[in-house]
Amino acid sequence: MSWENYMPYIYAIFAPFALALFGIIYGLVLKGFDRKLAAHMQWRVGPPLRQPFYDVLKLFEKENIVPKNAVPWIFNSAPIISMGALILALLYLPIGPFNPVLGNYGDLIVLLYILALPGLAMMLGGFSSSSPYSAVGAQREFIMILSYEFPLAIIIFTFAWKYSILYPNLKAFSLLTFVEHPLWQNVGILGFIGLLILLITMLVVTTGEVGRMPFDIADAGTEISGGALLEYTGKNLGLFYLADAVKIVVMGTLIITFFFPYNLSSLLLHYFSLPHYAWLTIDFLFYLLKLFIISFVVVTVMRVAFPRFRVDQVVKFYWGYATLASLIALSLIVLDTVGGV
Amino acid sequence: MIHIETSSGYWYPIIMLIAFIISWLIAYLIWRRGEKSYKKNTEEDDVFFAGNPPPQGELAHIKGNNLGWGFVEALDGFYNGMKRMHNGIINDYVGWFIGILAFVLIIIILWGGAI
Repeated sequence: MSWENYMPYIYAIFAPFALALFGIIYGLVLKGFDRKLAAHMQWRVGPPLRQPFYDVLKLFEKENIVPKNAVPWIFNSAPIISMGALILALLYLPIGPFNPVLGNYGDLIVLLYILALPGLAMMLGGFSSSSPYSAVGAQREFIMILSYEFPLAIIIFTFAWKYSILYPNLKAFSLLTFVEHPLWQNVGILGFIGLLILLITMLVVTTGEVGRMPFDIADAGTEISGGALLEYTGKNLGLFYLADAVKIVVMGTLIITFFFPYNLSSLLLHYFSLPHYAWLTIDFLFYLLKLFIISFVVVTVMRVAFPRFRVDQVVKFYWGYATLASLIALSLIVLDTVGGV
Repeated sequence: MIHIETSSGYWYPIIMLIAFIISWLIAYLIWRRGEKSYKKNTEEDDVFFAGNPPPQGELAHIKGNNLGWGFVEALDGFYNGMKRMHNGIINDYVGWFIGILAFVLIIIILWGGAI
């Protein structure tokens, strides 16, 4: 048996490590840009771009304090569960020109459940810390999960429904279907407006999913001193910090997969002749640029432009406006499809 | 290999479990690289409560009644309506049951084909 026979196994083992490394490094780079650009928008100089890397290194050198009355095994395992779930999510997502590592072994529904885990882990960590502030933060995280999952589910089902009509022979919930058949060119004007509304809703859902202003009620520093993460220090907090960075990459990639799965190579292939690896590099750099723009919109602009909502306002926003918007979008896409058939 | 497959989706739980274990292992390896010591049973591991003695035991936790606060507060119109409907009178519950059963039957009959 030649070494080439072992390649799929080697790939399967090393892909999670490579993806984890990519998610962490690029997530921290995006965090650095976020802090710098937010500072410039507020007429401040801001920290250097590499500040998030320094923060993580420092946190990992600090003492890892576990509160007296905490449940240590839950308290310590919460950041590991959170980070592990996000690395797993990366395995199901297409990264730029590369197909998902586990694309043939799980669909969007699986990914939806995996994406609920980091929030649940943070909630468990908060409840297990024995701090009243953390308990309030954990309760708020629970409310957040209940709030943003509903419009997100409607968005996913709208896409799947449309794909099931357009391509009855393909798996409508498969991310590979999403990447290979972008919806924009398969809808009429009503469907186009519907997709635009879905995009805006998805951006707003992502801001809530990554826990940034105006939806940062779970860690609201000025109200509950950091909420669920209040008692976390050292490597536990460092790992939550890294998980937060990876979450931006995961959610950004999800938006790209839904709405912008285009690669430059497919547009420019007819005009330039380049080797395969050069096109892969160009497409990957294009993906990084798309991620940067999405991160800028859903994290930086949102948190600079809007003040924090109250808890009940967040619920009203997601279950009211965001859900209504996604249902209107669904109706438009259905009308577009029925009219077009 | 064990898997669930429908016309629109698929899931291989064993593959997911293996991938989960590898992902958690990576997270654990990162976590292990950090400092693990701290000064046990000193002021250091007291919880923060703005300088006051923190509440102990169950007082430090959110009661089950309040877990969904915010959600109930935001959707109070719906919840108040539901509370009014759940008045504890068995006749009302049976009335609802018969009413909804009649409604479902009418829908089925109008829809046709099912009967």
